[in-house]
Amino acid sequence: MKMINVKEKQILAFVPAGIDLRQELKWINILLAASFLYSMVFLIYLSNAYHGLFTYIAGKKVLMDGVIMPDFVELLGTSLSGFLITALSMAGLLAYHYLYHFQGSKSIYLMKRLPDRLELWRRCFGLPVLAAVLSMCIAAVLLAAYFGIYLLVTPEVCLTPDQWGKIWDAYFEAGRRI
Amino acid sequence: MLEIRNLSKSYIGKTALTQIDLTLAPGEIIGLFGENGAGKSTLMKCILGFLQYQGKITLDGEAITRKNIARLSFATSEHSFFPNLTTSAHKEFYEMHFPYFREKRYRGLMEFFNLPEHKPLKSFSTGQKNQFEVILALCQGADYILMDEPFAGNDIFNREDFYKVLSGILEPEETVLLSTHLLEEVEAFISRAVLIRHGQIAGDVFMTDLEDEGKTLVGYVKETYQYKADRVSRALSDLTDEE
Repeated sequence: MKMINVKEKQILAFVPAGIDLRQELKWINILLAASFLYSMVFLIYLSNAYHGLFTYIAGKKVLMDGVIMPDFVELLGTSLSGFLITALSMAGLLAYHYLYHFQGSKSIYLMKRLPDRLELWRRCFGLPVLAAVLSMCIAAVLLAAYFGIYLLVTPEVCLTPDQWGKIWDAYFEAGRRI
Repeated sequence: MLEIRNLSKSYIGKTALTQIDLTLAPGEIIGLFGENGAGKSTLMKCILGFLQYQGKITLDGEAITRKNIARLSFATSEHSFFPNLTTSAHKEFYEMHFPYFREKRYRGLMEFFNLPEHKPLKSFSTGQKNQFEVILALCQGADYILMDEPFAGNDIFNREDFYKVLSGILEPEETVLLSTHLLEEVEAFISRAVLIRHGQIAGDVFMTDLEDEGKTLVGYVKETYQYKADRVSRALSDLTDEE
């Protein structure tokens, strides 16, 4: 018999009864880890851009005259898009959770006649929504962290103004296009 | 009292139920009979609120909502349990959601049918699955127990055991609506027979009235359905003539 820990027991109330929770958590973790690894592309771009600010004169690293660091949003590019894809893919998990109640039996009949009318929806939406929110929170934290790193490493004279504002301008523009 | 008034149900291009009027009184054991596609399952699914319908269904005068839905239980040959869960996990689930779960009855029935506690339902035989489906419906603590061909796939000994157990354990206020094709088997067990044909009530009779008239349930059904006894022999002779 599988042993389950307290945390898993709490999560079990947010997934369909009898579903393989460990398998689902494993895939969510894989998606989040892959998104995180992909987001580190930003650090490579940042490193390349940073080194592009300097030249070497007589073996000495010297900041080039009038050189400007690319905007943060430009370097960020699509590096956080993995988290958005992870969040969106949770819609598929949600659909799977609902259809699970038709696999091997019609447990949907039981779920639909429970006195607690939210039980079915809690179990279908619970984990996918939690995972989507977690994914977007990690993206937000990384956005702030990467922005901090960008400000920290970029020489002040190479920074163009309103970097933070440009992030939102870029997102609004992307959203408008969609 | 479960009252069904003027109930009609249509699917796209097909009428499944037409103006059904039926009252199920506490303590009755009602057999619901009819050919495949007559509307038996549709009727039960309307009562349980799985399907939209026209008409009115009330439980002691009140519409069936989440407030009183626990007073109805349901066993179906399609099964409504979770195949990956064990029987003991189902018990926990039911106890969590149905406050009047009959623990003692559950233990007794599990012991009687000798069902394993720690194996997932998907590993059970069809007969065992049916048994557990019915056990859950009987133990939920409902006043009205709806069963839609619950013994499909069970052997005769198994079914007979169940009828005996059912007769023995039901309390006077518990009502059973049992849809089945096994007329002769349930004849001694039911108190009332309701016949449904082409989505309409074709017959409704108390077993005591049938007994008084010296009729059998099968005879009553054939009479109501205007069954032609010579149908087979005529068809056979027609076929033979063709050759």
